[in-house]
Amino acid sequence: MKRFLAQVAAWLRNLPAGITAAFVALIVVASGTTIILQSEASYREQKSEEAQVQADILAASIVAAIDFGDSSAAQEATDAMRVNRQLRGVLIYDRDGRRIAGYRRDGQAPKSTLAESRKVPSPGIVAEAPVMSGGRQIGTVRLAVDRQPLDTRFGRYAVIALLVLMAALVVAVLGAAQAMLRRANRELEARATALGEANAELTHQIAERAKAEDQLRQAQKMQALGQLTGGIAHDFNNLLTVIQGSADMLTRPSIKADRRQRFAEAIVQAATRAAGLTSQLLAFARRQPLQPEVIDVNAMIHGMIDLLDRTLGERFTIKTDLSSEICAVEADRAQLASAVLNIAVNARDAMPDGGTLAIATEKLCSDEGDEILICVTDSGTGMDADTIARAMEPFFTTKGAGKGTGLGLSQVYGFATQSGGDLRIVSTPGEGTTVTIHLPCSNAPLPKAPDPSPGEARAARIGAVLLVEDNEEVGEFAEAMLRELGHSVTWAKSGAEALEAAAERPFDVVLTDVVMPAMSGIELADQLRRLQPELPLVLTTGYSDEIAKSGAGGRPVLLKPYRIETLAKILDDALLGADAGAE
Amino acid sequence: MRSAGLLHALLGALASAMLFAGAPAFAQASEQAVKAAFIPKFVRYIDYPPASQPGAGQPYYLCVIGRDPFGPLLDRAAASEVIDGHPVAVRRFANIDSVAVAGCNIAFIAGATDAATAQMVDGLKRQPVLTITDARNGHARGMIHFTVVDGRVRFLIDQGSATARGLGISSRLLALAVEVKP
Repeated sequence: MKRFLAQVAAWLRNLPAGITAAFVALIVVASGTTIILQSEASYREQKSEEAQVQADILAASIVAAIDFGDSSAAQEATDAMRVNRQLRGVLIYDRDGRRIAGYRRDGQAPKSTLAESRKVPSPGIVAEAPVMSGGRQIGTVRLAVDRQPLDTRFGRYAVIALLVLMAALVVAVLGAAQAMLRRANRELEARATALGEANAELTHQIAERAKAEDQLRQAQKMQALGQLTGGIAHDFNNLLTVIQGSADMLTRPSIKADRRQRFAEAIVQAATRAAGLTSQLLAFARRQPLQPEVIDVNAMIHGMIDLLDRTLGERFTIKTDLSSEICAVEADRAQLASAVLNIAVNARDAMPDGGTLAIATEKLCSDEGDEILICVTDSGTGMDADTIARAMEPFFTTKGAGKGTGLGLSQVYGFATQSGGDLRIVSTPGEGTTVTIHLPCSNAPLPKAPDPSPGEARAARIGAVLLVEDNEEVGEFAEAMLRELGHSVTWAKSGAEALEAAAERPFDVVLTDVVMPAMSGIELADQLRRLQPELPLVLTTGYSDEIAKSGAGGRPVLLKPYRIETLAKILDDALLGADAGAE
Repeated sequence: MRSAGLLHALLGALASAMLFAGAPAFAQASEQAVKAAFIPKFVRYIDYPPASQPGAGQPYYLCVIGRDPFGPLLDRAAASEVIDGHPVAVRRFANIDSVAVAGCNIAFIAGATDAATAQMVDGLKRQPVLTITDARNGHARGMIHFTVVDGRVRFLIDQGSATARGLGISSRLLALAVEVKP
């Protein structure tokens, strides 16, 4: 029984709420109707029993009257029943069905025989009782009882009907509410699902977009790389043409001495420019170790005016507005000069018809530390906001292919940030541009002006040099240059070889390449420092991750490509330092 | 004689009509037939003392003492009556001197004169027998005394003398009486 109820409950739960409610309401109404009908039926039965009892009593009381044919006595007996107002009528028939006595309350003439009376259906409740005497039926009593008036019965059932209707109504309302709730829930679920789907779609789109952006960035990088390699190749080809041509001319035996000199100078110039180009690239890549020194910016700019004049040409006027204060910064002199020159070249290119280039310096005092500002202002075409935003990007250029590498301002920016400063650009299209280099102010004392360099490179001190170089060409060249300077040279082609040589005989100075297989120049330097702490050592490299990352550990660095004067000076300094330490 | 023959013929026709009907004649077609039909029925409404009730299978004795005005009408009426399994047997006596009169349960008494009737009713006072008389035969009254009211046969009841003999009369019978003498 419990299981059956559970099944019914589950079945009801699965039905739509509206149908369930209608079903339950129907059940309630049906049971209400059943109750009313049952009540009516039992009422009828009760009335019928009452009528039967009355008929039985009457039948028993009129036995003698019928026995003795006393119809008046029978009539008296029936008349006595008139007090019962519910009786519609009482009739007594003899054994042959003929009426002996009786009455009808409605005043109509009673049927004269039992058979006739039975034919007519009575609206009331009819009861018949036989009148028995000595086991024989001697007559029949027939009486009809009024049902309770309809309004009385209705009043009795109205309460039940009202309750049932109310219950049905409540069930229906609850069902409707439940149905609405379910529908709302379904809609909510659908919306939540739709939202989830939309969210998934959005996430997918975001991922797609990020991917597309990555691809775009990669494409831009490749494009930039193309621009760069194009520009560099162009510049290098030009320089190599000069170098190759000059070298070819030098090999001719018949050439005169002054022309030979010119060709040699041309090679030197081209190589210098090429070195400048690679230096710029490395600065941009921030892989070039800076060689900071204390620089008086005002003096430096003052010294550059001639150079700028020559670089810009006759159509340009250079104005300077230098600060009266001493403006000392700690930076790489060559890079700073290059930066100013770069900005000046950009300014020139922005003024195709000539104009004014103003260079100003200023000392800015603030809580975060004093700064030196170098402002370069032109009266050129200016830049719009988009161009300003991209101006410092590597390889970005507004110049035509082959005219610029797109590295100028990015090099300046790289240099400025590497030196602890910043680069700012202010520009209005049509009115000109101001580029400002911010550099931290230095309180270090300014170095004395260097002695005028000797006309011909010649080593001030001569010593035994241990050259460590794995590259055959560079090694030969370096050995030749060192011998030219008057040093005695031992060339080791690896770190291990160098350690052996150092163990065999004493050296005055070691010149070692940094990038070598097996043992790097820095590792060699560390080992030699332990073995012979007094032995001076100079590192040389075209580019080195290690030096860029951790520095040279206080050792002098000779950057490739180098010229003989540079080589002579750095070795002189090293030997001098060793001597000073020895003294 | 001629008139008696005519009466007989008439009575016979009436009796046959009654038999045809086979029921108490509400139409009261014949006074004597109605009385004859009534007499055996009285037994049903009388409560006899236990000693005078008939034994199992024994009849109630209906005695006609003196003149018999009913003849076969009474025999037929008695024959159709069975009270609690006891039939009703009719006995006829000329007077109450017969010993067998002591067995009567119900007695219709009609003497030659009013005084003779009264004497016979008195003579039966010692035993529990329902005495019946008819007003047509005089003033002497038994416990039930037939009379005719408005052309219908009715009866008076002397309940006091019945009670004195130990006889109980049903109230339903009393209800039908024209007069009840307590």
